[in-house]
Amino acid sequence: MRWVATIMTLIPAAALYARSPEPVTYEHDVRPVLKKHCFHCHGERGVKKGGLDLRLVRFMNHRADDGHPVVTPGQPEASAIIHLVRSGEMPEAEQKLSVREIELLETWISQGAQTLQPEPESVPDFYITAAEQSFWSFQPIPATVPLPAAAPVASAASESPAVSAAPDALAAPATPATPAVSVAAAAAPVHPIDQFTAVAMKKQGLDFAAPADRTTLLRRASFDLLGLPPTGDDVAALAGDSSPQAWERAIDRLLSSPHYGERWGRHWLDVAGYADSNGAVEADSVRPHAWRYRDYVVASHNADKPWDQFIQEQLAGDELAGVVHGGASAIVEDAAARERLVATGFLRMAPDGTADGPPDANLARNQVMADTLQIVGTSLLGLTVHCAQCHDHRYDPVAQEDYFRLRAVFEPVFDWKAWRSPQERLYSLYTEADRARAAEIEAQAVVKEGENSAWARTVLDGIFEKRVMAAPVELQETARVIRGTSENERTDEQRQFLKDHPDLNVGIHEGLLNVFDPPAEQQLFKKRDEVKALRATKPPEGFVMAATEVAGQVPVTVLFHRGDHDQPRQPVAPGEVTVLSAEGQVDVESRPSGIQSSGRRLAYARWLTSGRHPLVARVLVNRFWSHHFGKGLVTSLGDFGLLGARPTHPELLDWLARDFMDHGWKLKRLHKLILTSRTWQQSGRHPASAEIDPENQWLARWGLPRMDAETLRDSLLSVSGSLETSAGGPPVPVARHASGRIVTGEEMLNPNGEPVGVNSSGPAEFRRSLYVMQRRSRPLTVLETFDFPVMAPQCEKRPVTTVTLQSLMLMNDTFVLDQSAAVAARVGRDVPVGSVRRIERLWQLVYGRLPDAPESARALVFLRENAALGELPALAALSQVLLNTNGFLYIE
Amino acid sequence: MRASAFNLGRAVALPWLLNQDGLLAAPVRPELQPTSFDLNPRQPKQSARARAMISLFMIGGPSHMDLFDPKPELTRYHLQKFPGEVKYDNAAEASNKVFGSPWKFSPQGQCGMELSELLPHLGSIADDVCLIRSMHTDVNNHGQSMYALQTGRATPGRPTLGSWLTYGLGAETQELPAYVALTHPSGMPLMHGENWTSGWLPSVFQGTHIRPTEPRILNLDPPEHLAGAHQASQLQLLRKLNQEHADDHPGNHDLNARLASYERAAHMQTAAREALDISNEPDYIKSLYGIDKEVTRDYGTRCLIARRLVERGVRFVQVFNVGQSWDQHGAMVSALPALCAATDQPTAALVKDLKQRGLLDSTVVHWGGEMGRLPVLQNDGGPEKWGRDHNTHGFSMWMAGGGFRGGHVHGATDEWGHHAVIDRVSHSDYHATLLHQFGIEHESLTYKRNGLAASLTDGQSARLVSELLG
Repeated sequence: MRWVATIMTLIPAAALYARSPEPVTYEHDVRPVLKKHCFHCHGERGVKKGGLDLRLVRFMNHRADDGHPVVTPGQPEASAIIHLVRSGEMPEAEQKLSVREIELLETWISQGAQTLQPEPESVPDFYITAAEQSFWSFQPIPATVPLPAAAPVASAASESPAVSAAPDALAAPATPATPAVSVAAAAAPVHPIDQFTAVAMKKQGLDFAAPADRTTLLRRASFDLLGLPPTGDDVAALAGDSSPQAWERAIDRLLSSPHYGERWGRHWLDVAGYADSNGAVEADSVRPHAWRYRDYVVASHNADKPWDQFIQEQLAGDELAGVVHGGASAIVEDAAARERLVATGFLRMAPDGTADGPPDANLARNQVMADTLQIVGTSLLGLTVHCAQCHDHRYDPVAQEDYFRLRAVFEPVFDWKAWRSPQERLYSLYTEADRARAAEIEAQAVVKEGENSAWARTVLDGIFEKRVMAAPVELQETARVIRGTSENERTDEQRQFLKDHPDLNVGIHEGLLNVFDPPAEQQLFKKRDEVKALRATKPPEGFVMAATEVAGQVPVTVLFHRGDHDQPRQPVAPGEVTVLSAEGQVDVESRPSGIQSSGRRLAYARWLTSGRHPLVARVLVNRFWSHHFGKGLVTSLGDFGLLGARPTHPELLDWLARDFMDHGWKLKRLHKLILTSRTWQQSGRHPASAEIDPENQWLARWGLPRMDAETLRDSLLSVSGSLETSAGGPPVPVARHASGRIVTGEEMLNPNGEPVGVNSSGPAEFRRSLYVMQRRSRPLTVLETFDFPVMAPQCEKRPVTTVTLQSLMLMNDTFVLDQSAAVAARVGRDVPVGSVRRIERLWQLVYGRLPDAPESARALVFLRENAALGELPALAALSQVLLNTNGFLYIE
Repeated sequence: MRASAFNLGRAVALPWLLNQDGLLAAPVRPELQPTSFDLNPRQPKQSARARAMISLFMIGGPSHMDLFDPKPELTRYHLQKFPGEVKYDNAAEASNKVFGSPWKFSPQGQCGMELSELLPHLGSIADDVCLIRSMHTDVNNHGQSMYALQTGRATPGRPTLGSWLTYGLGAETQELPAYVALTHPSGMPLMHGENWTSGWLPSVFQGTHIRPTEPRILNLDPPEHLAGAHQASQLQLLRKLNQEHADDHPGNHDLNARLASYERAAHMQTAAREALDISNEPDYIKSLYGIDKEVTRDYGTRCLIARRLVERGVRFVQVFNVGQSWDQHGAMVSALPALCAATDQPTAALVKDLKQRGLLDSTVVHWGGEMGRLPVLQNDGGPEKWGRDHNTHGFSMWMAGGGFRGGHVHGATDEWGHHAVIDRVSHSDYHATLLHQFGIEHESLTYKRNGLAASLTDGQSARLVSELLG
């Protein structure tokens, strides 16, 4: 199959299938143009304006208004379509055919207006042509993917990459030169990944860059797998291991770190659209229980949960656990069921403003459904199915029915006519004992409150009595009667009496202590605090935020004309997008007996993970690849359709997908495979590659990625020794600071709800960025500045920008200054005296290596120049410089 | 290393250019893409009328038939059935009842341009305004139409207009960001930072977001103990270390961009503070912009800042409203006057002020959104609830300065204001014309991606609309 390695936005529709050296064909060249511009009015959905259906060539002898046939084979000038598109009269829509597209039409007609294949007898509303069906990403993933025939890197592979490295500052001097890569070691066959990349490189006249040295590789691997610099222990362990398996063992150590799941779980949370708030409307209310899903993702990664299981749990954990709405009590005691229900948080990640007063409630509900489908489509299918919500997909062979088939799979969860708000989709983790205990405490509290009121009343009674006794006798009885009469039952005379004798107007409510007896009020406050403290002894009530169905309620999904829920059309049954169904389908009938839900999502999840789906494994391994290399083999991570990019290494992609499925959908295995490849271990310095292949699509050098937002913040904390490594649980709060930044800490509000200050949350503020609250409207400034994405509804791919505000932040932001000071303090502790040794320690902490002589000399000069700051502040200023350098920010 | 976008180095036949299987769209040009990018000023090939631009972007779709494009037919058929076919972008709550504008139009200026009573201040600069009544993008909904106007195509991920201008021309100051986005105090515009993204252009051409309230630029000030010599010494060391690192990694654009960003950051610390501080502006200027009144204070301040930035060599400034606040699906009768009241005076003041400083000739001012609205009413729940739905098939926007023809009305919509029908101007036509004023032929400003020459107009038909030019 031919494929084109580029992004498609520049290319006329025809070129999507174009096979230039051959004659222009209807299937490959012309039909995509007509589908993009014409079918909407001439063929699709029974619309045949002017009686013209352009979907089959044999219909094109239809005569246009001017009496000419639309197409006269062999004679472009006698074909009405050519005149109409040239003049711009057609299409009526604003986007006209490009010059290139018109040329294609002309060429095709002058070549005789042929089709490659006989046309079908009849043409249904929507059909998929052979050319569309044969598009690369819709093909089954081959059962076996052969390795490239030649082994063009055989000689190169016999060198052991990490050995030829530059002197390694941290390697133990006694260690003999040891190959870091056993897979590629002399005796072993060439690493399969390298075989594929080598072939592609060779075509460009390129070869692998030299391998990076071992220290560099360990640092690279640590950032890659953990999002943190390597620890001294990691470095020492690798340095002290002289066996051929040293490198694999180093990878294993990293993969067994609990920080691994925090790093790689975050990648998945991006496509799942994880946020700790509901978004959608300005209120952006907090989702206080979303973190359980985050922790589930982290734990699943750490446990190396097979991805087929991971996907099934997220799409249908409730069905796997046999849980329905109103019947979720099983999760309280059953940890496995609870985990599965938590997993369905995936389907609760889309923005959901339905409980925050959206302007149009029905629209808001349907938007939750649509966003969820977009998340599913982009993350798992790698297809922009959501573009077929209002009409057939303009480019991909996805019918509007296909979109609604997919919607039908999820509609039992998101029944917009019997909507459940985010609050109604929470499931309590209270045990019976918890509940009883809480009720008991509440009862005690209510009693205490009654006692407090009664006590306050006696105080007020006493005050009243004193005043009454001091009043003239003739008033006493009246005053007592009035006080015994509730306020709204008093007569006008009684009210007048109180106005005339305000001193006798002593109410009975406890709040009045404020007026009559402030010291007693203070006592009352203490009593109230006691009640509050009592209530706080209730067992905390946790909730699971989950997607469930209501037993027996399966709404009928109907197609919405133009995507408008107020224009329902025909019912649509659940199913997979047609073009993806060549090798299998969603078997909704296979609903396990005994479950009370529809079984649709479970059936769908099982189909997606059956091993026969053309896209799921390709999309997954491509995304994993992109996180290792900075870009995917298909650069449009969420779009494997016609407008998406084509794979640079299609056979490698298929090989990886096949290998992944054949070995149990295990991600840690894939990491190890990639990290032991020569491709991953290359140096970033390779002038020939930089010259010939500036975008590095042929992978003949390391791409030198910049730290992403979280890696940067976490690494600053790690270098300074401030990182608080506790895992999981509710997020660290964020607050609006007077400086305009969003910072970690507890926001203090005035009675108008305006922020007036920030209370420190203590060391928790220095937890990993993953655990900082992700409120869509309040991204932590330190993260946002370095491209932390807003989830709307998800992030398919992180952008990387280089802007002045980033430099200003690293120069002047208090967070960076504080961490720089902490680095200096740490160095000062580790090395009590001696500038040179301090500089060495600093280099080690920041770069994981020792400074060379010129670096050391420069640093000394800097410390001398800035001695006026004081010893440690000067060291802090130096630390800050290093933390600002590209040598720190870009991962070598 | 200095490279010009217009003077692309040597002719090298690159294998990656030649291996594009089946790609026919653009001629392969045998130049090497420069490997480093900067914001040094560059002379355009053609003579230029404009050197800077202030775009007042009005997201949501300002209602042209209530502001710029009087339609007596609407008044005549008010609440009667619309006789034609309505092309809805969004059919929810649609109605087919004609909605006559509640506001009166009258001729303004020497030129007699008819404008709505909601925009009295605009009337006072009518003779400087080139009003286009025949804009159209014809794509669905806000997002796509925003992309079309901001980036040339209705798809995400492309560089914005400001990025193309700074890519092509650099900036005339190295002390301020070349490209600035000024946002509303109530929040970000629709699509947030996508409005000032450099897309796949190098990130040095990305817009800088200036906050609506102090501190307008975060972290502008050095910490007290490092201010002055200490920070200078830090930056000197940083520069050395980064330069060595960049030399060691040739071909990595980002490293150079980051080097440049520190230079700029250092300059910005003083220059930006000065540029953003309007306290020394005389009172008559402040009241010209309406800064002395609550209703116009924010927009007036941002317009004044825009002028100050352009005066100091910033190439492109875009001023945004919050969200899509011009999107009046309902309650138009209260919402539209409120928005006009907040923006009309400052907008007119900006044009007047640029003119009195002799800057209007070389500065393009643009006012417009991504769409207009329909002739029929939406939300038929009583006059106070009436609104209008989207219309990308015909809408108005205006330009002033930079060689655009003042006092001129270009094009027309049909009698209902639904479709642009006479002298239509697409987003690509607009872009081509705009670039022309900056001395750039739209197809010549290209950036090579995967062997293809990409441009703002991107191969779409784009006409230089010379009738718009004075």
